[in-house]
Amino acid sequence: MATKVMPLELIDKCIGSRLWVIMKNSKELVGTLRGFDDYVNMVLDDVTEYKIVDGVTEKVQLEQILLNGNNVAVLVPGGDPEKA
Amino acid sequence: MSELTEKKPESTEEPMKEDDTSLTPSKFLHTILGRPVSVSLSTSTEYKGILSCLDGYMNIAMEQCEEYEGGQLKSKFGDVFIRGNNVMYIATEKKMK
Repeated sequence: MATKVMPLELIDKCIGSRLWVIMKNSKELVGTLRGFDDYVNMVLDDVTEYKIVDGVTEKVQLEQILLNGNNVAVLVPGGDPEKA
Repeated sequence: MSELTEKKPESTEEPMKEDDTSLTPSKFLHTILGRPVSVSLSTSTEYKGILSCLDGYMNIAMEQCEEYEGGQLKSKFGDVFIRGNNVMYIATEKKMK
């Protein structure tokens, strides 16, 4: 039988590495994952936020953030929107 | 995962078993009290000020608060309260080591 991998276990493996977060509201963030909880609220370090305003992507640098899990849609371990 | 449904939504209390190396949301909340923060709402309004108080719902009280819309300073407030459901993220500078 194939071993089960629970979603939160997968996120736990990403702690310490870069993570690409795609939000529900056409915003994306890339940062180093420091920790998370059951609601997938996340603490991220050295974050670049990509806001898409009228088709133009705007970048914002942030040192450390607590991201609310409420608007998170997709997590891509090791991903980078500039290479995708 | 029946234990998930029993918990309050959007709380950042620590339900998971964590090792000591990870900085969980609830640990993070304890470290940022009294520090200058920038709070971004899902409506892309941003509030910068000194964090005076917050809880596990990300309800926030701030002092010396400045309101920004699209990068433009809109107004200044002495004290503000932000209801946690509107918060997208709380950003700080890293602590000096």
